[in-house]
Amino acid sequence: MSETSKISLEPPKTASRPEWSIPIDPALQKELERHVLVTRWDQLTELVETVYNWGRRSSLWPLGFGLACCAIEMICTASSRFDLSRFGAEVFRGSPRQADVMIVSGTVTKTMMPVIVRLYDQMTEPKYVISMGACASGGGPFKEGYNVVSGIDKFLPVDVYVPGCPPTPNALIHGLITLQKRIDGESLADLPWYQDSVEREIPIPVLGPDLIDLRTVELAAQRTARGLVEQREAALPKPVILPAPVADLPPAPVEPAKPETPVLSKADLIRARMQGGGAPAAPTGTPQDSPVPPVGEPAARPKAVRKVKMAEARPSLKWLGNEGLAELGARLNQRFGVGTATIVKAGLLVPPSVWLDVARFLRDENPIRYDYLSSLQSVHYSDCMEVNYHLDSIERPGSLILVRVRCAEGEGQASLPSVYGVWPGADLQEREVYDMMGVRFAGHPNLSRILMWEGFAGYPLRKDYLEPYYEGPTKVLESRIADGQHVRAEELNPFGTNMKVPSTFTGWAELDSASDPKNPTLTEVSQGVNLAAIDSESFVLSMGPQHPSTHGVFRMNLRVDGETIVALKPVMGYMHRNHEKIGERNTFLMNFPFTDRLDYLTSMANNFSYALAVEQLMGDDLKIPERAEYLRVIMAELTRIASHLWGIGFQLNDLGAFFTPALYAIEERELILDLFEWVSGSRMMCNYFRFGGVSSDLPPGWVERCRGIVENRLDAKIDELDRLLSGNEIMLERSRGVGVLSAADAVACSTSGPVLRGSGVAHDLRRAVPYGIYDRFAFDVITHPGGDIYARYRVRLLEMRESVRILKQALRDLPGGPILAGKKSYQIKVPAGEALSRTESPKGELGFYLISDGVTPAAYRYHVRSPSFINITVLERMCLGHTIADVVGILGSLDIVLGEVDR
Amino acid sequence: MCVQWVVVLSGSGFDLMAFGRGLLVGHLVTLRRFVRTFLVGAGRTLARRGGGTLPVDLFQAPVPGTEPVIQQTAQTEGLFTVEYPDERLKIPERFRVLPVLIYDDHDGGVRCTCCNICAKVCPPQCIWMTHAHGPDGDPVSAPADFFIDMDVCMNCGLCAEYCPFDAIKMDQNFELANHERHQSHVFGLQDLLVSSGYYEETHPEAWSSSEEESEREKLSKKKRQRLEKALNASSESTRSV
Repeated sequence: MSETSKISLEPPKTASRPEWSIPIDPALQKELERHVLVTRWDQLTELVETVYNWGRRSSLWPLGFGLACCAIEMICTASSRFDLSRFGAEVFRGSPRQADVMIVSGTVTKTMMPVIVRLYDQMTEPKYVISMGACASGGGPFKEGYNVVSGIDKFLPVDVYVPGCPPTPNALIHGLITLQKRIDGESLADLPWYQDSVEREIPIPVLGPDLIDLRTVELAAQRTARGLVEQREAALPKPVILPAPVADLPPAPVEPAKPETPVLSKADLIRARMQGGGAPAAPTGTPQDSPVPPVGEPAARPKAVRKVKMAEARPSLKWLGNEGLAELGARLNQRFGVGTATIVKAGLLVPPSVWLDVARFLRDENPIRYDYLSSLQSVHYSDCMEVNYHLDSIERPGSLILVRVRCAEGEGQASLPSVYGVWPGADLQEREVYDMMGVRFAGHPNLSRILMWEGFAGYPLRKDYLEPYYEGPTKVLESRIADGQHVRAEELNPFGTNMKVPSTFTGWAELDSASDPKNPTLTEVSQGVNLAAIDSESFVLSMGPQHPSTHGVFRMNLRVDGETIVALKPVMGYMHRNHEKIGERNTFLMNFPFTDRLDYLTSMANNFSYALAVEQLMGDDLKIPERAEYLRVIMAELTRIASHLWGIGFQLNDLGAFFTPALYAIEERELILDLFEWVSGSRMMCNYFRFGGVSSDLPPGWVERCRGIVENRLDAKIDELDRLLSGNEIMLERSRGVGVLSAADAVACSTSGPVLRGSGVAHDLRRAVPYGIYDRFAFDVITHPGGDIYARYRVRLLEMRESVRILKQALRDLPGGPILAGKKSYQIKVPAGEALSRTESPKGELGFYLISDGVTPAAYRYHVRSPSFINITVLERMCLGHTIADVVGILGSLDIVLGEVDR
Repeated sequence: MCVQWVVVLSGSGFDLMAFGRGLLVGHLVTLRRFVRTFLVGAGRTLARRGGGTLPVDLFQAPVPGTEPVIQQTAQTEGLFTVEYPDERLKIPERFRVLPVLIYDDHDGGVRCTCCNICAKVCPPQCIWMTHAHGPDGDPVSAPADFFIDMDVCMNCGLCAEYCPFDAIKMDQNFELANHERHQSHVFGLQDLLVSSGYYEETHPEAWSSSEEESEREKLSKKKRQRLEKALNASSESTRSV
């Protein structure tokens, strides 16, 4: 700091007081020293520092900024049980210009990174960063994803790291206390924001072919041009790409398998098995063994033939059935000509040229009207790209059929007709297939990338796309067990970070911080909207992805005329954590903790759906013990209550009732989370289900406390919420008639859950296609005819009561016994086949689509049918003509969770 | 809604409260809640549970280790806040944060045999281990070093669930915040080791379960057999000398 003392002149008195740089009369000096404090600058600031630091550390205002699961724990920290306001930090500011600390809570994705840096740059000094959770610290479990930044400290300076996944609220408070201690120790003399030499502004990274950090762009350009990425990839083992399943063929001769099969011959083996082991005309309902060589084969069969167990060929547990499918196929062939519908592995293979006509027929003229597109996904095979559709009927649920449509395999070459005109629910799902696989859909109104950004290099879910941190086709990765020396993933990548740019890219000079590749698609006024007669200009407003009311990092591009919405385009992908790509590397067991993080508020429900999908492949003779079945239902219903409490609380937040209903709801949810923590070890990421049951039995005392909560507490608390909210005139005024969704639209757009039932459609998968033991419980399917915000709120509230009803029955009938079928083992053998599970998650129909090849320990294709993602399809039509304030309420009534929307 | 207002006003005269009844009922709910917070349960004493018994808060933190532990149940009413760090919520036994390796108290033996199962089940593959070798170069059932990258660990507990030797368990310590990660967030073998006494204290139910007891039996039996073999071998060699 500045030095004010000079070498003193002769009189010894001044030498002892170097602050006096000018010698004055000693008597005067003595007089002055009695009344005036004379000191040096740094000594003066030391006096002030204590108060100064105390003031700042006791009023750290965080930015209202939460990314993913950790943000939920952050909100719980600010709620009544943990109460961050005791530290002066509960005042979450919406604007970065008023905030002191940015708590980075959740996975940092590349899509979100420019936004985060922009927010950080706008924060005024002094500012601090707390990196909350494993994902923000170092990438976390999603580090290997192609859209994930390996830790926020790649861009921002971090003051405190809080480990955990997610850290509990107490851990976050501990992190805040650690930051407070650091602030207590700060000296004004050393602070960087008072020094001109320190450059604090961070250049905003660019979303180009990948996320480009402008501070190292020259290095990146050099390394790209040298082709280091391609060199590295050439040396790595590649994933196996399987051929598409075909209809019954005459069996081919079988090749022998060596005991230690390298990857290549596994593919041959699988190919041979699949050709030889096609589904018989009438499956008996039992899993089939490996195909026996046909009669006439030479008797000398080679030894050591690896058996591949085939699962029963069926798209889902409750479906139309083989007879119905054959009949449907015959009807289609009769109507549209022979070859229209071929039965391939319990699905109808339809050529693209007639697909639209077939689709319309299925929806309108078929005796079972397939008006509900349950799920749309794509699979990359070696000889084709298959897009398949699961169709169900609302009036006759459980008649699910699978339709396969195939197109060219080459990258970017495939094209299919869009079914948007038949089922508008295909809107976002087709865009996702385009984004992830490169299949174009002719006739889609807005075919653009949805999760990644325009300009991203590559189609990530293709089997030949290798992520920047790719090490091997499936886990277990050799380096963990063979040589075992720890190596950070960054050291494997030629750029030193999670980045990959094709060597042909040359547009480095055009990269611009101001670019926003996720913005541009909205310009036109939506159909059916009448602009006012007065000639006023409408403008585009981007709402999100950092916004207090968007339930996560969700963005809406609104075209507004004054305050009225004339068009709305949802923009997502800011939380795209590559769940499906990682799922295709994970073994089946490893996926359980990852499914926890999909809809992070309902981890047990996600586990349930995933377990059902794999158990469908394992076959019906996998007998799940009774106790496990009851435990599954108990956990699922407790999760439903916890999720709806949160949903209602935050819906009311969006309507303006700032935090009172939310705090009341969060309190009850905390008690349910205590139950989850007691049985599984974690409040939110329970990882509780296993294939064939659950992972651990209930600890002693659990049932008593659960009974206490269910029977003596929850009913009263739900009634209290009801009394508080349902008659409130302001709430009625703001929610009645707002965001109306007609029943026809709801079904056509594939909505599910309370959104569908709030429009009067009585479709609840627990009643329509019962799974587990739901058919044993008495409960009502709650619907409401209104279709508006109030209807959806009411459905959630009443569903909570029904869940309490189910819980009472389940707790009463809970039997003893084992909780897992068979012995506990980490080596899971999953037979080859396709499966789709459909469960009623609190948000809607949650489905897991799995393809297993029976040999690899990982899924070949892993797709999540996400209710939150598909429910967004109706957002625009609900918002047109309303105001911006209503948009917030309408989005709240959809109750989306971004972990599930973006996966 | 405006139409209803007018109808209410002009129509049934004294029924003015038709608009506002819901608001009033709602406010009564919040009022009741507010009053009950300090009338029943934890809020009744107005004393900070952690700071001592006086009715006035003197901002004295309790001695570390003596904080009161609060258990909230279905009957919890009143003040819901648990004032960390001066009060602690009861941590359930199965609560999992980061993994730890167990060594047996009585002889210091590390239980891990380097079987690699935890590395094989770890979903984000955050476990690395190197095999120890004996003086003759043969591998022995112990890890030379054992790495867990805490910036990747997702606290799932699969490693602890599938370890056949009860060697790796999930710890409950969540107070891990620090200022630096590149040096300190990769835990090595010495960072991970905790004593079996610590494990017994923090996980009494699991320690006394039949699976863990039988595993400890098996381990001590194996050790006894090895000791006997070594003793017999040495007595033979002394005899032959």
